[in-house]
Amino acid sequence: MQSLTDLEVSLRRADVRRRWWLSLPAMLVVILGGVGPLLIVVVYSFLEAGPYGDVVWKFSGEGWFNVLFERDIFDDTVSIADAHLTILWRSVKLSGITTLLCLIVGFPTAYYMASRGPKARGLLLLLITVPFWTNLLIRTFAIQQLLRAEGLVNVVLMKLRLTDTPVQLLYSDFAILTGMTYVYLPLMVLPLYSTMEKFDFRLMEAAYDLYASRRKALTGVLIPLVKPGMIAGCTLVFIPCLGSYVIPRVLGGGTNLMIGNLIELQFGAGRNWPLGAALSIALVALVMIGLVIFQKNDRSGGDNA
Amino acid sequence: MRDSSDMGESKVLSAVTLAGVAKFFGTFKAIEGIDLTIRQNEFFTLLGPSGCGKTTILRMLAGFETPSSGEILLDGRDISRLGPNQRPVNTVFQNYALFPHLSVAQNIGFALKMLGRPRPEIRDTVEDMLALVQLSGRGDQLVTQLSGGQQQRVALARALAPRPKVLLLDEPLSALDQKLRKTMQIELKRMQRETGITFVFVTHDQEEALTMSDRIAVLSNGALRQVGSPHEIYNHPVDRFVADFIGETNLLTGKVIRQDGDCAHVVLPGGVTIEAQCPHAVSAGSEVTLAVRPEHCTLAGPEAPLSGFIEQVVYFGTDTHFHLRLPGGAPLVLRRQNAADGRALPQQGETVGVALAPSATRVLRD
Repeated sequence: MQSLTDLEVSLRRADVRRRWWLSLPAMLVVILGGVGPLLIVVVYSFLEAGPYGDVVWKFSGEGWFNVLFERDIFDDTVSIADAHLTILWRSVKLSGITTLLCLIVGFPTAYYMASRGPKARGLLLLLITVPFWTNLLIRTFAIQQLLRAEGLVNVVLMKLRLTDTPVQLLYSDFAILTGMTYVYLPLMVLPLYSTMEKFDFRLMEAAYDLYASRRKALTGVLIPLVKPGMIAGCTLVFIPCLGSYVIPRVLGGGTNLMIGNLIELQFGAGRNWPLGAALSIALVALVMIGLVIFQKNDRSGGDNA
Repeated sequence: MRDSSDMGESKVLSAVTLAGVAKFFGTFKAIEGIDLTIRQNEFFTLLGPSGCGKTTILRMLAGFETPSSGEILLDGRDISRLGPNQRPVNTVFQNYALFPHLSVAQNIGFALKMLGRPRPEIRDTVEDMLALVQLSGRGDQLVTQLSGGQQQRVALARALAPRPKVLLLDEPLSALDQKLRKTMQIELKRMQRETGITFVFVTHDQEEALTMSDRIAVLSNGALRQVGSPHEIYNHPVDRFVADFIGETNLLTGKVIRQDGDCAHVVLPGGVTIEAQCPHAVSAGSEVTLAVRPEHCTLAGPEAPLSGFIEQVVYFGTDTHFHLRLPGGAPLVLRRQNAADGRALPQQGETVGVALAPSATRVLRD
């Protein structure tokens, strides 16, 4: 380092300065579009609720208090907010199951895609992205059409004489899981595919040659080597699932709320913006904690291998 | 063609037998009519240009492909339908295919672990294998930290650890530099002797094949051309392809005058008659191809019947190559070992006498 001439030092400084300028647009977008709104939400969560929605600019911890507790309207007794915890737990549970379903369906799909020739791969990759061409809401309504009492699924079931009356599929956890698995599956397949594409399939041959069964080759060679893709896929599915709003709204009816619906309720009919803001920040914090734990586990796993 | 080895004897010694094996990929014929016996404890090489089907044969021995017809016997048992994990045959892959997430020791112990061997046994075998490939003390390293040559050794140790009946090697030396390759050739030969395991080696490098093998099978276009010892293959090539593919060869055309037993008298385009080995029958008057190695041609005095015009002299250190033009217009390369005395050699533009050793000049089958 000491051998650097003045010219080199100034050149390097100019280079660093130039890089700052070049990254400025991206930084602005991140600050204005990401950090800014989040800060507004944080501020709102510490304000007082207005009588007809909106906020009153006065500091209050009531929003955060209401995340976990509720005060009885008549005698002001404090009790745990069961409903919030139930909804939170349902959100985590449904997101977890969705992630698992996506992994079960997405893993073989990605494996199949990655083991094709380059031409077929391109086509399959295009097909995976086809759902993105349509709006999420429209796709969710399409699932609704399939699952409703007169929908395709029930028609087929009745034609096959498996049931006489239509089965109630809509407005249930089943419907939400179906919708979320369908919508978020590509987010599992794509990162899995991109790691498997780099996977040397001759390693599978080597494993078979060295007396591994199919299952052992899978658990001992393929899975450890595509683990980063699995973690990326699970993260990409789990996080939007946790905050999903449209799918539980359309497919879960009014009764099977997830945390996203609860937040919307506070900004709408509930007229409690600080609570909505506090719930939002709680969700963000939850996701961040989850990510940190995930990353830590991944790193220690990598060291052991 | 048939394996020339004695079937009665080879039955006792045979490790692997291929009988009428063919493999088609769709309509593409990879190999056809392969009859081959690989003996126990031998270093056997499948040699041929790329696309000749040698890798297909190796993959069928390993179990990655099943033959379209015919059968593969290992110790007399048909293994052609068994999976790669069901046959005592292991492979050293061309790119080594080491498991990058495992340590050197875990790679070497992989097969034993899969076979459910007890831990102490695995540890001991891994130690033995590390010693065999001269990597003792490196068991805990990651394979990605090793050099190409070391990775090669780990791949060998990994495939040898379960003590397979047959070890398959798929051009394992092609990624190494020249010097390392020479060392590994000798190493491989040593390991084969020490372990007593049958090695089946695939290569397109004829020099590599000649150096290491006990026997060589030469393949082209999915068919066997010749099976024999390096000496037989080099000195008695059966046809034009083998003669041309193995080493440097002069190919001359001529017309047969007569045949006395194994000796044919052939007249060259320039009008000179020479004698050549010819174990098969040829009719007088037929056009034949003669093969003679450059080192079996010698410079002779001006009184020799065959003469050549020196077009080029190439100095190689150990020897000198003379590129000659024979009277009929045919080219001939003559190799002469250099002597220490630095005696003056014929120069470009001179005409010299040439002698072709009758015992080393052969009439080829077409």
